[in-house]
Amino acid sequence: MKRLSVVLLFFGFFFSYSQNDTPAITISFENSDIKNVLDQIEEISGYEFFYVEDWLGRKKVSGDYQNTSLSTVLSDIFKDTLINFYVMEGNKVVLTRNNIIVDRLPENFFGKEDVIVQTEDQDLEANPLFYNEERSAESTRLETVRIGKQTRTNRQRRFTLSGYAKNVNTGKAISEMAIVVEGTNLGTATDNDGFYRLQLSAGVNILKTSALGIEGTRKKVIIYNDGQLNFDLEESFEVLDEVVVKGNRDRNVEQAVTGVTVLEVEKIKTIPLVLGERDILKAAVTLPGISTAGEGASGYNVRGGRTDQNLILLDNAVIYNPSHFFGIFSALNPFTSGDVNIYKGSIPAEYGGRLSSVFDITTKDANTEKFSGEASIGPVTSNLMLETPVIKDKSGFLIGGRATYSDWILRSLDEPELTNSKASFYDIVAKYNHTINENNELRATAYFSRDAFSITSDSLYNYSNRLISLKWDHKFNEKNSGGILLSNSEYNFNIEFDGDSNNDFDLGYKINETEFKLKMKYLYSSAHTFAYGIAGKLYVVSPGSIKPRGSESIISPLLIPEEKGLESGVFISDSFKVSDKLLIDAGLRYSFYAALGESSQRIYEENAPRNNGTLVETREFGNNEFIETYGGPEVRVSARYFLGQDFSIKGSYNNIFQYIHTLSNNTTVSPTDTWKLSDFNIKPQVADQFALGLYKNLDGNKYELSLEGYYKRARNILDYKVGAQLLLNEAIETEVLQGDGKAYGVEFLVKKNEGRLNGWLGYTYSRSFVKLDSQFNEERVNNGEFFPSNFDKPHDVSLVANYKFTRRFSASANFVYQTGRPVTYPIGSYTFNNAEYVFYSDRNKFRIPDYYRLDLSFNMEGNHKIKKFAHSFWNFSIYNVLGRNNPYSVFFVTENGELKAFKSSIFAIPVPTITYNFKF
Amino acid sequence: MMQLRKTYRSCITIAFTLLAYGCIETFEPGTVSFESVLVVEATITNEIKPQEIYLNRTFAFEEDGPNPERNASIRVAEDSGNEFVFMETTPGKYISEIAFAPQPDKYYQLLIVTNNGRTYTSEQVQLSQATRIDDLYAERIVNDGGVEGMAIYVDSFDPTGNSRNYRYEYEETFRIVAPEWTPDDLIGDPAGGCGLLVAPREGDEETCYRTEVANTLILTDTNGFAEDRVTRFLVRFINRNSYIISHRYSILLRQFVQSNEAYTFFETLNNFSGSESLFSETQPGFLIGNVTSDENPDEKVLGYFDLASVHEKRLFFNYTDFFPGEPLPPYIVPCVENAPILASPAGCVLRRIVEANLVRYTGRNDPPQPGEGPFTVVPRVCGDCTEIGVLEVPEFWTE
Repeated sequence: MKRLSVVLLFFGFFFSYSQNDTPAITISFENSDIKNVLDQIEEISGYEFFYVEDWLGRKKVSGDYQNTSLSTVLSDIFKDTLINFYVMEGNKVVLTRNNIIVDRLPENFFGKEDVIVQTEDQDLEANPLFYNEERSAESTRLETVRIGKQTRTNRQRRFTLSGYAKNVNTGKAISEMAIVVEGTNLGTATDNDGFYRLQLSAGVNILKTSALGIEGTRKKVIIYNDGQLNFDLEESFEVLDEVVVKGNRDRNVEQAVTGVTVLEVEKIKTIPLVLGERDILKAAVTLPGISTAGEGASGYNVRGGRTDQNLILLDNAVIYNPSHFFGIFSALNPFTSGDVNIYKGSIPAEYGGRLSSVFDITTKDANTEKFSGEASIGPVTSNLMLETPVIKDKSGFLIGGRATYSDWILRSLDEPELTNSKASFYDIVAKYNHTINENNELRATAYFSRDAFSITSDSLYNYSNRLISLKWDHKFNEKNSGGILLSNSEYNFNIEFDGDSNNDFDLGYKINETEFKLKMKYLYSSAHTFAYGIAGKLYVVSPGSIKPRGSESIISPLLIPEEKGLESGVFISDSFKVSDKLLIDAGLRYSFYAALGESSQRIYEENAPRNNGTLVETREFGNNEFIETYGGPEVRVSARYFLGQDFSIKGSYNNIFQYIHTLSNNTTVSPTDTWKLSDFNIKPQVADQFALGLYKNLDGNKYELSLEGYYKRARNILDYKVGAQLLLNEAIETEVLQGDGKAYGVEFLVKKNEGRLNGWLGYTYSRSFVKLDSQFNEERVNNGEFFPSNFDKPHDVSLVANYKFTRRFSASANFVYQTGRPVTYPIGSYTFNNAEYVFYSDRNKFRIPDYYRLDLSFNMEGNHKIKKFAHSFWNFSIYNVLGRNNPYSVFFVTENGELKAFKSSIFAIPVPTITYNFKF
Repeated sequence: MMQLRKTYRSCITIAFTLLAYGCIETFEPGTVSFESVLVVEATITNEIKPQEIYLNRTFAFEEDGPNPERNASIRVAEDSGNEFVFMETTPGKYISEIAFAPQPDKYYQLLIVTNNGRTYTSEQVQLSQATRIDDLYAERIVNDGGVEGMAIYVDSFDPTGNSRNYRYEYEETFRIVAPEWTPDDLIGDPAGGCGLLVAPREGDEETCYRTEVANTLILTDTNGFAEDRVTRFLVRFINRNSYIISHRYSILLRQFVQSNEAYTFFETLNNFSGSESLFSETQPGFLIGNVTSDENPDEKVLGYFDLASVHEKRLFFNYTDFFPGEPLPPYIVPCVENAPILASPAGCVLRRIVEANLVRYTGRNDPPQPGEGPFTVVPRVCGDCTEIGVLEVPEFWTE
């Protein structure tokens, strides 16, 4: 072989000159061996072929050519093979099998390294041939991409392929898209910007991509140099209709942590929900282990924990009240929310401060490619989200707003009682994300939500959440990266009471917290990944003030002084891959809290019940003086062991301190719930949890099964004395009790991820108890024995099912059943001191009626023409199809000397809604 | 009067979709069953007198109370071995056989054997510090709410600083003058028919006295103050439009000094009787006292056995002392005269009203308008104060 330049021939990629100057031939063959055809051509054209006979295989070819160039004929013949041809001077045709013909030996050919390179290449070349023969039908569909030219000086055996994955419709980066090299265990995933980098063996690689909501692709990549490959991918409309809960299909089996749930906003849009609102937290409630106290109850009880034990984060900043209008809507805009990770079992070491769970909600990144948006119009709310690049491909800005026009509807009604009612809310979120360079990224989020409504004609509630967060991610090098987070959140509520009587008032409450967090990641080796960091948080609580409203009011102004606390933690964790089967996530966090002055703390007698009478003194603390400190180590350990393919067992243990408590003697979180910091008298709540679970995926992750059990113990759980009155009480410690809690349960979940019919069925059996014991009568509840907590609901069944009729039409159903929550009933009257009193049962001795509800929805998508301006989506849903009158609250009144039990419910009849959504 | 915790969340009007959603309905609590529980009301004071203890049982909501617990045997045991036996005098009311007062340095315990043979014991309690009411006085004020009326204040001081927890009880007695009293009355015609005769009254029902025992719990404490001093503590406020202060009014205030435990109990009990609003809910639950069942520690017993030092003081005042020359407050009911017809086709009218003792005669209706009868009458209470009071002047009454 002489004077050959380096060429690469493959599947019809020819260098032009080799095609042009071949003679035209006329030939016809039918189902012949390639060898026979080549023999024939040799006869006709006088060209001579050089090849190894084995390469040709037994493939039969057919063809009929009139005056066609030899190149064309040959390329047809070798179309579905790995054979390339090169027409040389002197009427010679050299057949090669997928490699290049080099005209000279590589430099240092005899050097050891290069020999290996050569061998490697041989191996590589051999593989695709089998592949091709066996799967030729598929390979024809496979798009092939050539990366780089092989240069003669390049002897690398591996090359780096990098690039971006983008959604072709929205232009937005596709993050967390898996890219795997078929037949190997190589692979990577795109980062938040859709960027990936992958080392490939020189030569042919089949890349397979998969991401949620994005059509999967396979590409044949022939790489002979470092290069770039961008993926511009279509949305997968198939996925759009599905309810997919797990981002990573086999994450549930693979991850070491127990009790983690991932929800993707995109994937919950077909769950039928109230008043047409897509709601990520409502969807969470359909999963085992997460429940609300009842319809219209905001706040979540995770694994038998109180509603104050959840750390609900939006872009790393705390949202204190993540709900609108008594919890009927969540305060998160579905259009701007990205994923939600809910940790209810083992909580990663980077989080602390709340006992039961972490809801880690992220706002999605703004589109940095082009202007786009999404909007919905429903009967109650409208929602608009817009995103625009600021610096193209580098930074983008997203803004989403949602508001209700119920006030307007109420006002326009004839009914006078309703005209004076008020019910309004809105929320607005804005995010800016900036990729400064490959190593630096900046994100900033601002959020505000406000609710105002009147329950009775003479009162007006309002509350608002505000937060801002800043995050800077920096990559130091391949192994070290880190992020700095800064956030501030504020929650406040206000009640204006303006009745006919003279006790009108204005009441206000506010909590503000500022957090700084540094989080580092160190990829030590393939077996160890370390995460470590520090966090500090400053709380400032204004527990309340009451002001008389109007000159007639007899209310005397009262201001309960500010409280301050500093919560901090250091943490380190290691994800240790012990073997292919065993993965251990071990984390340690040291949690520290200091209650800070300026403050007056009441000191009570030791070994005496706390009340005004046992008050010893009031001690004054100066500004920022430590009043009391609490803290301790927190262990977060979880492990996964593969029992078989797609079958794992996981166990975990963790313990946590919590320094902030809600004061609420309602069983539901009402907006008057106030947060109280631990201080001299109120100790932090402490809990530990053991969890053990079995996880099995069937039929290629089509079905997911999981069974998880947990046992939780808690100390210093805050509860209230009988007769406690909490609002604006200066001596809260005399009204509260701190006792033991325990909760246990088994959660079963079966999910079908694909197919026309998909969805999940969850069943939870769980119990939750509290024990308030003391040697003093006034500090003992239910004889000091464990009694069911306010949210002890043993049975909980949730079914979510979607059925897809066609690409455009689908229907969904959602069924929920829960045991009624415990309640304390009045059970009789008695006279004492000439007055008549009601006496109550033991705490939580009875239960309200069971809760069940069926919702249905029907979805219709607009057509999927790519050129169309907007993708539209209609949703028609019926909430509470069975018209079940589920109790929201239970109360008692006497009518004609007879005690009557009443329950109020919010949606006692089926509620139909229709919503129109569109995306552009 | 039911002092019920009312958690009335009115129907949240979600008229969003222009549908009025049904919100509130009754339901059968089902499993909730009434429990008959013994209620102990025993405050033994430091006055040497026959001490009183009340035993009742709880009753279902649809029943009327009280529900006395009869035929129990009650003793109060002193730690020195003395026992005071109580005898039932009226249903549910037990009085000690001898007059006694607990000693300050001794412990006392209540022992009950009910008719069904169950025994109950209280914790051991001790008598509280005795502290006198220093002053009890009335002032005409306009309160913070802009309402004019009479405020009754108490001052008390314990130099030892041991009293701290005060509970007040009061009873008020006041004179009532029937505004439409006349010396004559209507009687049915002895001859029968629907006719009525005017005749002189048999008794003088013009001036009466009425005593009302307050059942509100009035509590105050001096914890956290440098001195154990109650100053200008408002125990009673009477709206100037209340008929009770129209003539002469008297209040007897009893000041109980309570132990810390007892005070906490009464304070909690008080939380349950207060009016509830959406903004201040009280944690419901069973209120434990200091009496338990000997047989079954889980059995519920309501109430409290308390030893309290008591001091009482009485105050009188006249309306004219504070409101000289001002019109009297309106009477308890509006005294509107009317003249019912004597008979209708259905039968007698006025005679039946008179014989049912519902009205009092004020005069002749002359001449009767169409549809009127010959006599004018007012509601009975306007002409006969015995409907709401007694004629006898109370023993303690002074002018």
